[in-house]
Amino acid sequence: MNKKGIEMAFSWIFAIIAGAVILFSAIYITTKMIGTERKVSDTLVAAELDNLLHPIETNLEDSKYVNIRFVDETRVFNNCSAKGVFGKQQISTASKLIGNDWGEQSVRKTSFNKYIFSRGVEEGKKIHAIVKPFEMPFKIADLTILYGGNYCFVNPPSDIEDEINDLSGDGVQDVGVNISTSLSACPQNAETVCFNMIGCDTNVNTLGSSSNIQGSISKDGETVYYYGGSLLLAAIFSDTEIYECQIKRLMSRAGELGAVYAKKATYLEGSGCSNNLVQDLQSFVVASAINNSHEFVQQVVNLANDLEERNGNIAKCKVF
Amino acid sequence: MIWRNAMEILQSVRYSKGQFKIQQMVFVLVATMIFFGIVAVFYVSIRLGSIKGDVQDERQEAVIAQVRKMSGTPEFIWSAWEDCASCVDIDKVFLLKNRTSYQGFWKDVALLKLVRVYPRYQTSECTTVSYPRCNEITLIEKPGYQSYEAFVSLCRYDGAIEQSRCELGKVVIGFEGVEGAA
Repeated sequence: MNKKGIEMAFSWIFAIIAGAVILFSAIYITTKMIGTERKVSDTLVAAELDNLLHPIETNLEDSKYVNIRFVDETRVFNNCSAKGVFGKQQISTASKLIGNDWGEQSVRKTSFNKYIFSRGVEEGKKIHAIVKPFEMPFKIADLTILYGGNYCFVNPPSDIEDEINDLSGDGVQDVGVNISTSLSACPQNAETVCFNMIGCDTNVNTLGSSSNIQGSISKDGETVYYYGGSLLLAAIFSDTEIYECQIKRLMSRAGELGAVYAKKATYLEGSGCSNNLVQDLQSFVVASAINNSHEFVQQVVNLANDLEERNGNIAKCKVF
Repeated sequence: MIWRNAMEILQSVRYSKGQFKIQQMVFVLVATMIFFGIVAVFYVSIRLGSIKGDVQDERQEAVIAQVRKMSGTPEFIWSAWEDCASCVDIDKVFLLKNRTSYQGFWKDVALLKLVRVYPRYQTSECTTVSYPRCNEITLIEKPGYQSYEAFVSLCRYDGAIEQSRCELGKVVIGFEGVEGAA
């Protein structure tokens, strides 16, 4: 009797252990597979988002606006690195799982010719994108400004107000930016941006107007510098770290393009078209090696304006 | 003879009922594991094929989007006239040709070239000797690509007529195919 009992118990124990191992292995593998599938799907979303930014690049337009909608609540991670000749732009996404947990960050989609200005992490089902060309003095790149959530611009210059109104089709489309004359009139959940006054989440100082607008922007205890309307908007919507990194990348590309234009100016001189721009373009290339936005405003802006003026005075064979 | 001896030895061994059951279970477990292993191999190979297909589609989409917008990029744009969206500065592109800094700049692009459609010259690829009387400027060319084209105007300053001249051309971009993709 005892022997039989022991034999039964052993086979049961063996079956239970083997069953448990198989069951737990199956659950573990399934969970891992779901996680991997989610990561694959988020990686494809990041790649599609990157592809989506190609068609909205500008040709002759001043700016473009698109509203990007995701199927699920999504986080967009923006990474910028200034290492290498052109630096690199990386974006990745993560989608919300059941409950309040977020999936693992997807594989990063890298590009060398894109410049995305945003916070480190943008979150939401809907993300706004404004694309603006950046010319200093020739076209250097398209700036892609990404932002989720709502912003309230308090007392902006008329040019900025007009631009926001144009992008929204005079209020037909929600571009996520409200214009207000006082801070108290801003919606409660909105990120506030004050122009030439203090007391907001972001405080903007402006000098000059239209294309010559310049100044500084303070947020989170840090200050960055801008020149022109494109960089003004880029600085408002991005983290200071990302802004400084992208400025450095933009200037690296400006330097490379400057070197190409210097060669073109030499070639044109050889073709019988005098332009006297070679020396200035070479100086521009040297000046474009900057470390931050302050150096950019101090070293590059005046040279670029000078180049623009001199190129504009060439009658037949403009270099750029 | 040796075989018969071995069988006799095996037959003479007596197994208990419990040992048989354990052996049975081990065989069933091994069979189950093999079955799951085969299923896993099938799943991984199918899924891998599907991911390769997705990557191929994504690269294709990127190239189609890029070929439409290439004439507007800073390296290609003809900025002397402010109203020509599809004009390419052929001088600038030619000067880009030997710049090592631009290697790897256009990611996942296996072919990038400008082709003159009309008028055609005798020399195919442009060199410092043949330019501008040549037909093609190749910036990138790697093997195994699938390409797309867009017609553009190839513009440059012509010293002979002392003004800018534009000719019909096309920009050709190819993407690297993914090995084993559907």
